[in-house]
Amino acid sequence: MSSLLPQLIINGILLGGIYSLISIGLTLIFGVVRIVNFAHGEFLMLSLYAAFWLKSLAGLDPYPSLLLVVPLLFLAGLIAHRLVIQPILEAPSYMQIFATVGLSVAMQNLALFFWKADFRTVESFCSHSALQIGTLVAAAPKLIAFGASALATIFLHFFLQRTYLGRAIRAVVQDREASQLMGIDIYRIYLFTFGLGTACVGLAGGLMAPIYAIFPTVGVYFVLTAFVVVVLGGLGSLPGAFLGGLIIGVVESLAGFFISPQLKEAVYFVIFLAVLIARPSGLLGQMGAEEL
Amino acid sequence: MRQKGIFFPDLHLGLLLSGAAALAALLVRNEFLTNLVIWIFFYASLGLSWNLIGGFAGQLSLGHAAFYGLGAYTSTLLFQNLGLSPWIGLIAGGVVAVLFALAIGLPCFRLRGPFFTLSTIAAAEVLRILAIYFQDFTGGSVGIQINVAPSFSHFVFGDRSSYLLVAWILMLVSFLVSLGIERSRLGYCLIALREDPDAAEALGIDTAGAKMRALMVSAFLSAVAGVFYAQMVHFIEPYSEFSLENSIQFAMIPMVGGMGTSIGPVIGSFVLTPLQELVRAWLGGRYLGLHWVVYGLALILVVIFMPRGIVGLLRRGRPARAGATWSQPSCSPLAGQAEKEDGAGRPVPPGLASPPGEVLLVCRGLTMDFGGLVALSGVDLEVRRGEIVGLIGPNGAGKTTLFNLISGFLSPTAGTIRFRGEEIAGLSPPHLVCRRGVGRTFQLVKPFGNMTVLDNVMVGAFCREKDPARARREASRILSFTGLEEKSSLPARSLTVADRKRLEMARALATGPDLLLLDEVIAGLNPVEAEEIEGMVRSLREQGITVLFIEHVMQSVMRLSDRLVILHHGEKIMEGTPAEVARDPRVIQAYLGEEYVLASS
Repeated sequence: MSSLLPQLIINGILLGGIYSLISIGLTLIFGVVRIVNFAHGEFLMLSLYAAFWLKSLAGLDPYPSLLLVVPLLFLAGLIAHRLVIQPILEAPSYMQIFATVGLSVAMQNLALFFWKADFRTVESFCSHSALQIGTLVAAAPKLIAFGASALATIFLHFFLQRTYLGRAIRAVVQDREASQLMGIDIYRIYLFTFGLGTACVGLAGGLMAPIYAIFPTVGVYFVLTAFVVVVLGGLGSLPGAFLGGLIIGVVESLAGFFISPQLKEAVYFVIFLAVLIARPSGLLGQMGAEEL
Repeated sequence: MRQKGIFFPDLHLGLLLSGAAALAALLVRNEFLTNLVIWIFFYASLGLSWNLIGGFAGQLSLGHAAFYGLGAYTSTLLFQNLGLSPWIGLIAGGVVAVLFALAIGLPCFRLRGPFFTLSTIAAAEVLRILAIYFQDFTGGSVGIQINVAPSFSHFVFGDRSSYLLVAWILMLVSFLVSLGIERSRLGYCLIALREDPDAAEALGIDTAGAKMRALMVSAFLSAVAGVFYAQMVHFIEPYSEFSLENSIQFAMIPMVGGMGTSIGPVIGSFVLTPLQELVRAWLGGRYLGLHWVVYGLALILVVIFMPRGIVGLLRRGRPARAGATWSQPSCSPLAGQAEKEDGAGRPVPPGLASPPGEVLLVCRGLTMDFGGLVALSGVDLEVRRGEIVGLIGPNGAGKTTLFNLISGFLSPTAGTIRFRGEEIAGLSPPHLVCRRGVGRTFQLVKPFGNMTVLDNVMVGAFCREKDPARARREASRILSFTGLEEKSSLPARSLTVADRKRLEMARALATGPDLLLLDEVIAGLNPVEAEEIEGMVRSLREQGITVLFIEHVMQSVMRLSDRLVILHHGEKIMEGTPAEVARDPRVIQAYLGEEYVLASS
């Protein structure tokens, strides 16, 4: 019992790292393009299937195949943005929601049609290894996923702070009109950021492939979790998404054990509603960001 | 004036369409057709109930499956455990749904846009998870089967025709409720708050209350539809009741047909439901999931190419409200009279009971600190009844902040605001301040673009009037006063800037204020237009309305004001008559500039 709580917390943190990475993509897209992308989970699903097919057709282990999966998802994001999002940028927000919901439904069912509903799994060379310190255990794929997520977050942070493109992105988040006056092509920024967001999710998917089952509606579960994380951390805030991810991961892990595995989703939905009600700007978000 | 009489195109169309469909199904006696028509009516009713909150109020809910499922589960469980007839269970289910609506609506309506949508999704998901978890009570994932002999009291029928009749009644009830709301004060308020919630609050609309009422009706109707489904299909389980896919379907119907109108969801269902059956029959069997792909793509295409739905396409260019195209108001014989005593039934406003010259508004030590930026610092201000007071100062002086404080959009960090003796500082939401007699316009005008000019002003009139007919009369009277009478049936978004400013004033006037806050109503107008507005403002005094106005156009300011108050960097630096102010060196230095003094001396 004494090592149970630390183990649960470790599990939660490792899980949280993945949630963070998925949510970072979502919060970037929201902060810049100001669209709530309901199809975000489907890009995750896409990357999971990509990892699966690369393994089953080309024998590529999920980690090396990341080199293909991430650019692939970046491209998919560009295409989706150009075809679906860009035409509706000026539409009222409730119409935009419909469009991304439509995209989500279409993608899920295309996957269902092409690849059927069977659960797929991907094995990696390290699927069965684990790191053990004392009585605490951490499965290797989960450790790698956490580590890679943390690295990706740090890399993204420096990208946004230090590079010109990163600064341009942050400028657009702050003020679109002023950015345009400074010579920033905001439509290119939207396009790029959308791709960047889906690339993050692509990375998350590739890392998750050895851990989770793969099926057409796998994205639905994760996207709702991602929304909870993003709102908790504060829309548009990268550190917020990371922190939020860790918190939700730990909450889920603890709730799954102490309350019930079936109710753990309900627990963080309740947290979600509580955050939306009490502090909609989230932990680290700008106050008033929720007023679109 | 034209009188279109009692022709209600929407109502007649809805009755005609549904009547024809029902008749066809009953006569032809083909099972497929009967089923199809049942589903058309079923989805139309769900679409209509969703539309009350999604279309009229613009609050996109993707959690309506929550109400639907609560209805189904409540009545089924009551029937199973207590033998209670589903006809009564229907009411019980509706009540449970309404209670749930209250529980989630109260906190979640504070959220705007996608946040509200997300919260509705979360709410429905929580219900779904709970329904699975408490399986001893709800039967869990396995669901509940309704196995009972057909009888009226069991709400189970042997033949489809009976279900058809019930479905038709369900649809008609939803349709009539929707039409009723659309034409009532609530309908105008909902559409106004959808177009611009701040403007709606400033006109005295309790936006939270209106949204809640719409949601409650919507929840009840959705629950009833849920009961119908359970009684027809004889089987309920958590996924088919509470799923997100259901919620999406309910929302798609009005979306495709035309949100914000009553006939839209009806048309939407008549178009989508047969399409759905066709696509499912063609693709669903062999190609699993492909019909959903078609839906998804259809959603995207509708948003890009026909966001106003089918009704929007057909009514392109015409204002969105049915109310504006029928029954034009007759010329008010009361225009130009002493308005406070008109025979339209308006009570004499309490303001005239006080003697003229009485202090109406007192601000003492008003301070607004935005956590670093001090917009106002220790401002004292007094406005007496019947005055026209000008508030001027350089940009950033805090003038609009002062207006926001008085009208209830902001709460002061320190200081008091007394209006007619009552403390109103921090009174929130803003509609409470409007109802006490303070009207305001906004610097950046906020017309309800998709409503006609007349309807815009009617929204203001609804502050004092409950009855739409009287509100309409009051609105036309105000429109003739502000010179917008000829543009009554134009959509507000087609107006020029000058007319928009006039409309903004007319709307605020319709709320029957004692004190009117005008925020730069003259800026941006040419001299002719400016003079017209000046004349209007002057004549407000004769109607017993006191005016506090912000303005930058100096000629107008000097001509209109009895008294001027000058703000600079959040402080009142001077107060006095226009002549005194123009000579004061502090003011000149801060604001007016040397050239003005030279020119006027």
